[in-house]
Amino acid sequence: MLIRRIKTAIPYALLTVITAPIIVSYGWLFMSSFAKRTEGLKPYGFTLSNWRFLWEPLPNMPSIWRITANTLAFALVVTILEVGIAAATGYALSRLHFPGRRGFLSLTLILHAFPSVTLLIAIFYILRLLHLYDTLLGVILVKASLELPLGTWIMKGFFDNVSWDIEMAALIDGCSRFRTWWQVIIPNIRPGIAALSIFAFLSGWSEFLLPYIFLTSFNNWTLSVLIKRLIGDFRFVDYGLLTAVGLFYIIPVLFFFIFTQEYLLNIYTGGVKG
Amino acid sequence: MATEAAIYKAVPRPSLWERIRTSSAPWVFMAPATVMIFLFFFLPVVLTIYISMTNMSVATFGKVVFIGLQNYIRMLKSRWTVKILTNTGFYVLTTLSCFNVGLALILSLLTTHINERVGTLFRTLWLLPRITPSVIYALLWIWVTADAPYGIVNQFLSPFGIEPRNWMNAQPWLVVIMANGFVGASFGMIIFTSAIKSIPEDYIRAAMVDGASTLQRIRYVILPMIRWPILFVLTYQTLSLLTSFEYILLLTDGGPGFYRTEVWALHAYHRALSNYFGNVQFGYGAALAAVLVVIGIIASILYLRVFRFNELVAEPKIEAL
Amino acid sequence: MEVQLENLTKYFGKVLAVDNLNLEIKDGEFVALLGPSGCGKTTTLLMVAGIYKPTKGYVKFNGQAVNHLLPKDRDIGMVFQSYALYPHMTVYENLTFPLKLKKVPAEEMRRKAQRIADMLGIGELMDRKPGQLSGGQQQRVALGRALIKEPKLLLFDEPLSNLDARLRLAMRGEIKRLQMSLGITSIYVTHDQVEAMTMADRIAVLNKGQLQAYAPPEELYDRPRTLFVAGFIGNPPMNLFEMELYQEDDHYKLRHPDLSLAIPDSRKPRRQPSGRRVIVGLRPEDISIGPEGEIESEIYMVEPLGRDDIITCKIGEIKVQTVVDSRLGYRIGDKVRISFNMEKVQLYDPQTELSLLWA
Repeated sequence: MLIRRIKTAIPYALLTVITAPIIVSYGWLFMSSFAKRTEGLKPYGFTLSNWRFLWEPLPNMPSIWRITANTLAFALVVTILEVGIAAATGYALSRLHFPGRRGFLSLTLILHAFPSVTLLIAIFYILRLLHLYDTLLGVILVKASLELPLGTWIMKGFFDNVSWDIEMAALIDGCSRFRTWWQVIIPNIRPGIAALSIFAFLSGWSEFLLPYIFLTSFNNWTLSVLIKRLIGDFRFVDYGLLTAVGLFYIIPVLFFFIFTQEYLLNIYTGGVKG
Repeated sequence: MATEAAIYKAVPRPSLWERIRTSSAPWVFMAPATVMIFLFFFLPVVLTIYISMTNMSVATFGKVVFIGLQNYIRMLKSRWTVKILTNTGFYVLTTLSCFNVGLALILSLLTTHINERVGTLFRTLWLLPRITPSVIYALLWIWVTADAPYGIVNQFLSPFGIEPRNWMNAQPWLVVIMANGFVGASFGMIIFTSAIKSIPEDYIRAAMVDGASTLQRIRYVILPMIRWPILFVLTYQTLSLLTSFEYILLLTDGGPGFYRTEVWALHAYHRALSNYFGNVQFGYGAALAAVLVVIGIIASILYLRVFRFNELVAEPKIEAL
Repeated sequence: MEVQLENLTKYFGKVLAVDNLNLEIKDGEFVALLGPSGCGKTTTLLMVAGIYKPTKGYVKFNGQAVNHLLPKDRDIGMVFQSYALYPHMTVYENLTFPLKLKKVPAEEMRRKAQRIADMLGIGELMDRKPGQLSGGQQQRVALGRALIKEPKLLLFDEPLSNLDARLRLAMRGEIKRLQMSLGITSIYVTHDQVEAMTMADRIAVLNKGQLQAYAPPEELYDRPRTLFVAGFIGNPPMNLFEMELYQEDDHYKLRHPDLSLAIPDSRKPRRQPSGRRVIVGLRPEDISIGPEGEIESEIYMVEPLGRDDIITCKIGEIKVQTVVDSRLGYRIGDKVRISFNMEKVQLYDPQTELSLLWA
């Protein structure tokens, strides 16, 4: 009896041990932002002063609110572009007859597996050519484009699951193809669109490499760039401040993570990008 | 029977505008994506190859000269190439085998073995590193591995008599591989979990009736049945690891010291896009990147052939536009 | 509206789905397209609807080719097997969607929706979503949506096959009654022969993309022109077995090691078969068991249906089925005498599979 119990407990124990680093470090992140000082997992004294960046600008740094607004704008516009364009492209690839459809489908799949970070050097050059280097718009376009194959592929999957009968019925009832798409099909994949939107938003909100490489002026930064600079300046000085800024940055991420993880899980399984 | 022309003449044809509107539908749907993919995928691929054959750098921006394969020859001759290649191979193979496939398998086997809801909870926790913004994730590792008295690792190890130290500097590879592995494991975990869950219960039951132990069930039933997902994760993640450098950039930036943890993709970035060396060499960086671009194209075409192609053969069921 | 299908042909890639189909449907007629799954009946219907484009041939409405017209310009209504109601719209929105697209004024729209709803008995459901309705209710809404724009042609794609048996019976009558009172030309696709027989004015039987027969139900049953139709129509199916046909004193006769039969003059073959062997067909109701029977046989199997039993009799190698009152209580192994009503016999050429009597 006892042996059996131990046997069933083994997997739980194993999982707890290998998952411990994650639990501990995230717990510590939270704790540390309210502590005067921490040594390992031991906090010393409670304080709110780590959160002072919310009301006073940090030395040599732009206002946190300006940067937050940038990040929000970046994430939102990327989401709208990516989801909107993917919804159109995914529909065409899933549902329309046109020459080159198979070619486009293969291309989407290839690009979806293709490591886009290898293109950054050339993209840098293109952005300069288009006079979009060091502009939020430029980075937005790049981010939306690089995410497009994945988004399109996921969207196509959602469209594939809508019944053909409904679409035929709409055509017979008097819809054009545009109207069918907009008034009949899109309302039926709302959950899918919501999931992709959250995914796109989080991916935009968290993006580091693109803004870091393509945004140089101070006022164009996003939160990730700001924090990267803060790591450079404060790394060995003020852990509390860094944890507080970090926590501030990941609040929306954690929020969506807690409330919508099943949706996101579906996207991760549907669209595979490691 | 009347001729075709005569038959059609009897019917009012839709107006030209109507015909354009209906037959152009697919192109309107496809246009935005086409432009964006052209601008930021197609053009960059071509440009990467082109730039790699020039001497383009900050110094030469105005007067770019075509220099053929000189950058590639320089790459072959560079004394750092071997070092960086070894680094890259070590990094990819270790992370892949220990974490992206190894740990992923362990996690999916364990979480499907136990109570469903607890299993889901653990899988959710393992998604945290993936979903955390990379700067914050890197920050966590920097703190965890920090020198005494701040670092958590030191706090845990000091009772065992291990000298406190900055682990990022002492064991950079260990930290880099673990940090990447903790993110990478969740990908395989998700894929394997859904594969394991879709194994028909009857096989497992049959094995149990035949008296197989848990480990034997895993070895003889589950693993053979998920070999395709394993192969998929293996190949897919190889390409991912080969080309990604974000976490390494944030954790060690290729250091400590000279090229200790510099991998190929990071090297290309350093050469072309960072001021680290004082001289930004687009041409040489592009040549380094072009190698990866070519590998990426070949690999993704291979995936297409091996894994997914049949899925997209289905034709639309409506022919009217 | 009259509908003509001329040499209608559809390939999907290299697969031939509909093969040179010719069909004429009169104004106000109710025509069923009947056949096993994969016979091309739904493909044909979707070509009439304009969803598929014919590879060859024409779809004509009132004599005019409409091949190039979009579905929305064909003035048709369609009812689907899955009902295809828009899940995100209420019943009222579903019903009025076709009118909204035609920009019909709101007042008129409401009036028409009310009339249709009253006609179909769904007035109470107007504010519900399709997900909250039973299968039968969804079917009515789907029917209403097809009818509300007063189409010239109604298309049905197996509309009853997702309903349970009792509801199917009720809806069958209702659709037929509606169609007759409105007088709308209708094409009805089904794989259920009972549905086709009870509802249609004429039935077009399709197999492997080819038209097998096109006739009113009684004719289809009494005078099947092809072996396929003979075997497909009727339940239990017609008994079919091979015998040798020969002539003796101006009379036709059939023989087999286990059985010989005489063909009455009323069933004299109009054509010669390509070989000596023919396929003989007799419906179960034309075979009777009783002491006066001239053929000896043994009961091979009994399948009780409740009121009747299906009895399989063995005459040597030949097995035939008949239906008898179950109170007679036959059992497996019983030796019985049976007789064939040769006035109803069917003869088919095994090579061409065409009837020697009617084709």
